[in-house]
Amino acid sequence: MKSQRAGDIAGGIFLFLLGVLVVWASLGIKGAPDMRMHPRTLPLILGWAVGIAGGLLAFHAWRYRGAARIVPWPDRAGTLRVCVTLAALVVFLLLVEPLGMPLGSGLLVGFLVWYLGGRRPIFAGVLGVATGGVIYAVFIRLLQLSFPIGPLGR
Amino acid sequence: MFFSWDYLLQGFVAALSWQNLFWALVGSLLGTLVGVLPGIGPTSGIAILLPVTTFLPPTPAIIMMAAIYYGAMYGGSTTAIVVNIPGESASVPTALDGYELARQGRAGPALGIAAISSFVAGTLSLLGLTFFAPVLASVALAFGPPEYFALMFMGLSLVISLSQRALLKGFIATSIGLLASTIGQDPLTGDVRLTFGSEELIAGVSFISVIIGLFAIGEVMVNVEHAVTHIYEQKKLEWVPRWADIRQCWGAMLRSSVIGFFLGLLPGCAPSVTVFVAYDIEKRVSKHPERFGKGAMEGVAAPEGANNATVSGCFVPLFAFGLPTGPAMAVLLGGLMMYGLQPGPMLFKENPQFVWAVIASMYIGNVILLVLNLPLVGMWARIALIPFPILGPLIVVFSIIGAYSVRYLVFDIWVALIFGVVGYLMRKLGFPMAPMVLATVLAQMLESSFQQSLLISQGSFLIFFNRPIAAAFMVLALLSIGRGIWSELREKGLEVAEEDQD
Repeated sequence: MKSQRAGDIAGGIFLFLLGVLVVWASLGIKGAPDMRMHPRTLPLILGWAVGIAGGLLAFHAWRYRGAARIVPWPDRAGTLRVCVTLAALVVFLLLVEPLGMPLGSGLLVGFLVWYLGGRRPIFAGVLGVATGGVIYAVFIRLLQLSFPIGPLGR
Repeated sequence: MFFSWDYLLQGFVAALSWQNLFWALVGSLLGTLVGVLPGIGPTSGIAILLPVTTFLPPTPAIIMMAAIYYGAMYGGSTTAIVVNIPGESASVPTALDGYELARQGRAGPALGIAAISSFVAGTLSLLGLTFFAPVLASVALAFGPPEYFALMFMGLSLVISLSQRALLKGFIATSIGLLASTIGQDPLTGDVRLTFGSEELIAGVSFISVIIGLFAIGEVMVNVEHAVTHIYEQKKLEWVPRWADIRQCWGAMLRSSVIGFFLGLLPGCAPSVTVFVAYDIEKRVSKHPERFGKGAMEGVAAPEGANNATVSGCFVPLFAFGLPTGPAMAVLLGGLMMYGLQPGPMLFKENPQFVWAVIASMYIGNVILLVLNLPLVGMWARIALIPFPILGPLIVVFSIIGAYSVRYLVFDIWVALIFGVVGYLMRKLGFPMAPMVLATVLAQMLESSFQQSLLISQGSFLIFFNRPIAAAFMVLALLSIGRGIWSELREKGLEVAEEDQD
């Protein structure tokens, strides 16, 4: 998948399969038979469009014989950084309701600042606490938005 | 709707009273603040701050609400330019070039041009509101579902053509954007579609989450991958626009004023549509269209001008018919009704002092916002000096807040995260993002107007071609598609397109 050609072939196949899935799912949409436009019409058309366009993309990429263009995929260290950041976000999302937005966001910022910048844990921690504090003061107390508040609400 | 110089002058006298000036200033300040905060767009900004105005008499209260609205419009561009977080769909085209300019060390000039363009377009469109409102109000009435569908179809075809040499990828991005919006309930029948048994998907996919994911989270991932130390390539930053920048953008400011104002007259034609149209037209008339998307100053001036001009345009049907053209106007209408004021022709007869004071206050509000925003440009641009390992996590958290605050669903943050990954892959594989964003924003209106049109015509597609306005838009859309295909063929097919794309 290092070249644009390989990327487009893989992307095209994925889109083709996505189109097939959407067409299949669309056929199962129920709706009143006397409708001028059945609720399934648009998803069905779009499923066909995505599938055919994906197939075309893969086909044209497969036929392409010009100069190879390299997709700038990350190296091993870059991949690790992206994966760890994504994993941190997933953990945050799983814990945001029990922990609350201020605490969860504070921990996320603290961890990412420490991990991405190699900062001292104390500095990262202070920044995390400050972020949580601002979210609590501005969004929850001042604007009174209904954010999950976690243990701070007890 | 009546115009008289006497009423206008009286309006200025009323708007310039210290009390009204003060509340216009407070509204502008609060509006700019909520505009800068992620996820709180003009609509929720007015809704949140509506109770703040209740202790005021009607005129200063509405003046303050209007100031909050256009203040939020100003503020929304700031995060789009500085950190690539368009908190609302109307700021997306601004982010395309604004953030590129910021990366080149020109965040200050881009913010300055955004403020100046907003001021120029805001003022010019107010002239339209003041002098031509009675005639123009009837334009809004000439628009039915077929005209809306044709207009939005044209908008989409224009934006696909934005992707120029990656037409197929632009088409795919549009289709995926439309597809994401069809998830959930059918807008007319309420039938559940493409949810695969998930209850959370029944509520549909929030387009704000899609935008935040594609732009903010996707961009953070690219920067994380490269372990960048600062988000901007240039260490040397410029703080204010040069005269050359302003001269270069005059045409864009004038054109976007006209486009934004006239499209703003149409119910449902929100700034999220008009900014894309203004951006596209600017790209088409430019002698150097290749600079767009890579840091063209006109690419900031045009959407920002159109954004503010649309706001003035939206007031015409609101005042003339009591017809809110979008969610923000609906909240404003609620505010008017809260004070016992019923917008419509009688409002001008029964409360001319009130209407003209509000209109006059908008001129003053535009000046206040320019004076308020230009000195702040340097402060916002200094965000660039924060190292990325600190700024990046903060961008992620504010993106999360932005996605969550729309509907208060954790599911929306998941959507933002998924589209963050999609945005990252789209950047790598050369898929344009603007068509996907516009498609996501327009999808529901596009489908509703299409269904309503077919109901009117009893199933005949000719309705889009036998009504003059709809036919004109459809012809323009088909010409745009034809032109795109012709350009593609001229470039000797998709292979060349793929090779040239970068």
